[in-house]
Amino acid sequence: MIPFEYRTPKNLKEVHATLKEFGTDAKLIAGGTALVIMMKQRLVRPSCLVSLRSVRGLNGIEVKDGGLSIGGLATHRAVESSSLVRRRLPMLAETYHHVATLRVRNMATVGGGLAHADPNQDPPPSLIALGASVKATSSTGSRMISLDEFFKDYYETVLNPDEIVTEVMVPKQAPNTGAAYIKFLPRTADDYATVSAAAVLTLDKSMKTIADVRIALGSVGVTPIRATEAEAVLRGQPLKTEAFAEAGEKAKQAVDPVSDFRGSAAYKTDMAAVFVRRALEKALADIRQQAKAKAAPKPAKKKAVKKGKKR
Amino acid sequence: MDVPKVAKSLPGVESVSKIDDTTYEGALTVRVGPIKLALQGKIILEEQNKSAWRAVLRAEAKDRMAAGAVNGKTLMNLKEISAGMTELLVETDVNILGKIGEFGQPIIRKKADAMLKEFVENIKKQLTGK
Repeated sequence: MIPFEYRTPKNLKEVHATLKEFGTDAKLIAGGTALVIMMKQRLVRPSCLVSLRSVRGLNGIEVKDGGLSIGGLATHRAVESSSLVRRRLPMLAETYHHVATLRVRNMATVGGGLAHADPNQDPPPSLIALGASVKATSSTGSRMISLDEFFKDYYETVLNPDEIVTEVMVPKQAPNTGAAYIKFLPRTADDYATVSAAAVLTLDKSMKTIADVRIALGSVGVTPIRATEAEAVLRGQPLKTEAFAEAGEKAKQAVDPVSDFRGSAAYKTDMAAVFVRRALEKALADIRQQAKAKAAPKPAKKKAVKKGKKR
Repeated sequence: MDVPKVAKSLPGVESVSKIDDTTYEGALTVRVGPIKLALQGKIILEEQNKSAWRAVLRAEAKDRMAAGAVNGKTLMNLKEISAGMTELLVETDVNILGKIGEFGQPIIRKKADAMLKEFVENIKKQLTGK
């Protein structure tokens, strides 16, 4: 490995001062699960690594404005095992559970993962579908960026070099909302997905009309992709499962995969349609299960609590 | 054929200097997110046929830090379609070797496509004088 400086600032102010000192040659390191590999391959050669490990107070997970606030330095494992996340947004806990291996999840941070901006990652599609945004903090202040607009290109985000992802905010989901994230893994469980899809579906009070829907895909382009045209097929329409397949077909237009050992571009495009449909079906099943848990009579309280957790 | 001018039409090419009649030396920088490749190498004019409006360029470049190498061949052909119309055909065959190839196939391929597109646009601009 090529020699580099290693700094361990204790707070954000010191982090920004160090970043200023080394300029664009410095790289922030949190879990290091992506950066260290790139450094070993000599693809990235920073003159200085600014470790965020000693910075405190950025790894909390809490309820904020009815939604969830996740600290930028919370690990994937922390999100996956948080009782709060599992109770409020089980789909998000499940998404983080599906990232790589336990060893990676123990190290990788939520903010670091997003800043890395690999389109094959699991959390971005789920977070986009949930309508999440990130808080980027620089020495001059902070701004909220919708995840929809966060990813720019392969490994590129709209973050400025001096900005740090300090928080991920997932808004409160509307009533009658179900969510699902599924990934197609034809090889090994810890592999990147061939195609992944996340869907968040909201029904109106009658449970017969689709009030809102958000669909996002991973591994099928240079960034995670939101399939807005596929959403338009469903939004405001009466609930019909055939429409899910139609939305899947529409999602094909949004993707632009490359052929590799996980499948040809044409195959991945076809699979994108299939996985969007399945994600929508799973999200609908999620809504129905929640409704059933709610409607369950009192004596079945124990059961209802269990189902509530699974929601 | 003005090789330096053609080479500089490729985005990221920094300097091109002549070694002899058919060999040139150049540097190319490609940036993909945090990854920055600084490639240094040679461009060899393999074939030049003015009557057929055809030229073949071969490029061999290595990253300074030995993360990998890029070998490529480009064929350019101008074909007259009608009096006011000329077709420019650019065919490229690029091999990416070493770590960058192993790690970044999808990234590099997307990037290479984008670079080639820009290259053709630049050449078109030069030829039409616009």
